[in-house]
Amino acid sequence: MLKLQDLTKAYRTDEVETVALNNVNIEIEHGEFVAIMGPSGCGKSTLLNIIGMLDTPTSGHYFFQDEDVAGYSEAQLGVIRKQHIGFIFQSFNLIDELSVAENIELALLYHDIPASERKERVAAVMDKVGIAHRAKHMPSQLSGGQQQRVAVARAVVGNQSMILADEPTGNLDTAHGQEVMEMLQQLNEEGTTIVMVTHSPSHADYARRTINLLDGHVVTESMRA
Amino acid sequence: MLLTNYFVSAWRNIYKHKLFSAINILGLAIGLASCILIALFVRDEISYDKFWSNADNMYRVHLTFNVPGRDPMKLAMAPGPVIHAWKKDFPQVTHASRLSQREPTVIIGDRYFVDDITLVDPDFPEIFDLNAVSGDLTNAFIGFDNIVLNETLANKYFGSKQAVGQIITLDFGSFQRDYNVAAVIKDMPKNSQVIPKALITIDEPAWKEQPWMFDAWFSTNAQLYFKLSDTTNIESINRELPAFVNRNFPKIPIGGDNVKNSDLIIMSTMNVKDLHLAPSRDGEYQDRGNKNTVMIFATVATLILIIAAINFMNLSTARASQRAKEVSLRKVMGASRKDLIVQFLGESVLLTFFGLLIALAIVEIALPKYNEILDKTFSIDYGSSDVLYIIILAISVGILGGSYPAFFLSHFRPAENLKANKSAETKASVKLRYALVILQFSVSITLFVSTAVVYGQMLYAKNMDLGYNTDNVLAVHEISRDVVQKKLPLLVEEIKRMPNVSAVTWSDFTPGRANQNNTIVHVEGQSNEDGILIGSRGIGYDYFNAYDVPIIAGREYSRERGDRDVSTDDLRNGINYTGSIMINESAIGRLGLGSPQEAVGKLIFAGAGQPEENLTATYEIIGVVPDIHFDSLKSTIRPEIYEIHADYGNAISARFSGDPEELVENVRRLWEQEIPSIPFDYSFIREAVARQYNAEQGQANMFAAFSALAILIACLGLYGLASFTADRRTKEIGIRKVMGASVFDVVKLLVWQFSKPVIIANLIAWPISYYAMSIWLENFVYRIEAFFIIGFCLLAGIAALLIAWGTVAGNSVRVASANPINALRYE
Ligand SMILES: Nc1ncnc2c1ncn2[C@@H]1O[C@H](COP(=O)(O)OP(=O)(O)OP(=O)(O)O)[C@@H](O)[C@H]1O
Ligand SMILES: [Mg+2]
Repeated sequence: MLKLQDLTKAYRTDEVETVALNNVNIEIEHGEFVAIMGPSGCGKSTLLNIIGMLDTPTSGHYFFQDEDVAGYSEAQLGVIRKQHIGFIFQSFNLIDELSVAENIELALLYHDIPASERKERVAAVMDKVGIAHRAKHMPSQLSGGQQQRVAVARAVVGNQSMILADEPTGNLDTAHGQEVMEMLQQLNEEGTTIVMVTHSPSHADYARRTINLLDGHVVTESMRA
Repeated sequence: MLLTNYFVSAWRNIYKHKLFSAINILGLAIGLASCILIALFVRDEISYDKFWSNADNMYRVHLTFNVPGRDPMKLAMAPGPVIHAWKKDFPQVTHASRLSQREPTVIIGDRYFVDDITLVDPDFPEIFDLNAVSGDLTNAFIGFDNIVLNETLANKYFGSKQAVGQIITLDFGSFQRDYNVAAVIKDMPKNSQVIPKALITIDEPAWKEQPWMFDAWFSTNAQLYFKLSDTTNIESINRELPAFVNRNFPKIPIGGDNVKNSDLIIMSTMNVKDLHLAPSRDGEYQDRGNKNTVMIFATVATLILIIAAINFMNLSTARASQRAKEVSLRKVMGASRKDLIVQFLGESVLLTFFGLLIALAIVEIALPKYNEILDKTFSIDYGSSDVLYIIILAISVGILGGSYPAFFLSHFRPAENLKANKSAETKASVKLRYALVILQFSVSITLFVSTAVVYGQMLYAKNMDLGYNTDNVLAVHEISRDVVQKKLPLLVEEIKRMPNVSAVTWSDFTPGRANQNNTIVHVEGQSNEDGILIGSRGIGYDYFNAYDVPIIAGREYSRERGDRDVSTDDLRNGINYTGSIMINESAIGRLGLGSPQEAVGKLIFAGAGQPEENLTATYEIIGVVPDIHFDSLKSTIRPEIYEIHADYGNAISARFSGDPEELVENVRRLWEQEIPSIPFDYSFIREAVARQYNAEQGQANMFAAFSALAILIACLGLYGLASFTADRRTKEIGIRKVMGASVFDVVKLLVWQFSKPVIIANLIAWPISYYAMSIWLENFVYRIEAFFIIGFCLLAGIAALLIAWGTVAGNSVRVASANPINALRYE
């Protein structure tokens, strides 16, 4: 599905240069469930942002479905991104001014999908994650777990083949965290590729493969039997 | 201590939020500057003639001729003999004086001048305050050979020499007399309808040769002022006026016995303080103001201030969400609500103060141009109470604009705002801001439409077909003076021979320098009493040719065919003959003479001399011309006859081609050679006609400028709000982009957010503008069609949208292009 080759990301601020990713080589197959772990500041989010095409590498190659997108412009990346990738964030990132249903619909809004079909798909996905009864509520009226379920719904409603999740359980208690992980697992079983950053080893256990980062390097890769 | 803390904190806040502060300060500065400039104008307009020590008891007599079938002739003057009857019939009048402005030739030794000399009655200084600089005013108005000069004229005539005691000769045409300078007075204040430069007393017998000046009941050549005794109410005079008219005026030979004089002649009085802004009348010596204009500008000033204050409120409440944490923390630290209100109000007053400083700078920079446009000499006297008023104005705006944010911000409850991840913006504050933006744009659009209509009307008036060609006509004035009159044929012949001159004529009027003459005319088979009042103008040969006016039927006057006028002196001596007359279309219509072709050859009869003389002149119509707008478009076309004045007039007109300056030089040389004693005075008809609309043009420009400023301030506010909102929405925008929105999608979203209020504002502003401007247009006899207003509304709507988009788009593109991860990174 995707392959990173000698990928490097450096941030330059005034005098200092921070190398967030250094010579990273990773390959992820279609339908995999990958967890990325490592201490704070080791470059997990940076890696996920580059995979999600929200950011571009400083050097190296990024093959997405055999296409080297490393040198693509933001607009070109945008086209691929909205076709193939869904996102889930630690802080949910729902729009406060929109209702639950509208927040989910947002993922379809920029895809040339007729309004009636959008409504159907939103309703279906809300059923699936169990928040249909909250459709008209505003995000501020929901608990953290409910908000994250909305975010998951938003990530899957577009039927993208890959979902990137940056500490999706970071702001949730154990029970709610569990809930989200089960949803991700189910999605993966249905064929969606999932790449997830997490600090929790038990949540990493849901993944079939775990990549450990340290100071921008891949230190170990372990496969679950 | 606390105060300095507030001050320091206010200053830091202003400094920290530079864009916000700059927009607020700039908007306020422009708003305050506009307000100050308009206030100067309005204050001047309403100050007219209030400064006289007797102002409350000073009145002017007005007269309106209500002629059936014509616009009433409203005069700022009264016939000469009225003053005597007035003093006799109204004992409550303590003093009365006529005031007539003439332009005699002023001769001092071997130097000649032409200046305005004001003729008054001896009571004049008892009514109006005069301040002698030198000489003695007590005897200045006794006898008929004293003159009082103002400082400017004294200086012009005598320089540094002592003026008092000098001799000045005035040549009025019919008589010439030496005057002794009795006193020099301070120049009269400019905010007055009465600004004499030089004063002499009216010597009625000396004017016997020109009886219409002061001795005719149906000629008006002087204004009449009077002073009422302190204890009397003006009503005691007003209600007697119809009886006064019937008792004193000779019977007008119109309409027979059942028409009383008081039906045709309406006399009225007006306090001097009201003169400047009252509806216009003919025979005013100084420019009038216009009450509507004053009200409109006062309104515009208020609107501009409101727009500036709204900016203030909007930007402050918008920023409130960013400051919610600060407020909450201060509260946790023990600040009371009052402390916070004081702090925020202090901030806005401090901002206003900076705005005020910039405003004063703008005012000082703008004043010279402003004075030039309005023909005034406004200035701000920093040593006077003006400064106090300006500061009060600024502080009120600061408090007005700062109060809502202050109360709004201070009421935040700390618990709510210290909780992370929650917007401090309430629905209500967002709605209010929305409503205020709508209000600002409604006002701006209304101003835009109004400006467009005012300009459209100006353009229309300027480009309207007046019926004659104003281009390339040079007028040479001062022809009526005796020395010049004798040389009229010579001047005409010489100018005709000059290169590039195609026609030369003369007349007793020139377009743009109005001169009302009327005479009662009737047709065959009617008696004198059935006659109608018709305007009459005197013209020379070739007049209509020179002014490019087509003759509809018949022909123009010709010397060869022996066309002649009927002389009043001949009639008095019993010599009767038929003269030639030209006439306009309105007149043949009013007289019932049929088509222009049918009218030619018919006879008309015109009253001559004074009504009581009962003289009638007989004319045969030789030519018909179309209706021509010789007077300002503010008056309707009147029926007119054009008499041939074979050898006299007030001005020569020459149609030319090529270089105007060359012609002026040629004529000047001729003039100075032939008539060295009179200064050469000329004008171009085109400019003279345009000058009639100078005041309107100036005010239209002023209106346009202030409307533009109002719109600019509103845009500044919108810009600030847009950049604020865009910043506030960065997280949302980030999410939308991650969800696949393109830069264009996001820009569209942000721009549309501000299009909605602008569109709603249009829907509010259109009907208001339409209603207000169609009423305004009714002031004009000749005006653009009301549907133009609709066009201007659409135009304003599009312009407002474009401006709003332009204002918002820059920010939107910046925010929309930003990488979404920056927005989503930290929470
Ligand atoms: N925009 C940026 N500018 C400069 N440095 C950055 C930027 N973004 C990240 N970094 C730096 O790059 C390094 C990797 O950051 P990153 O956010 O990927 O870490 P992380 O592994 O996700 O940490 P955490 O577990 O705390 O979320 C850090 O040292 C960080 O300071
Ligand atoms: Mg991270």
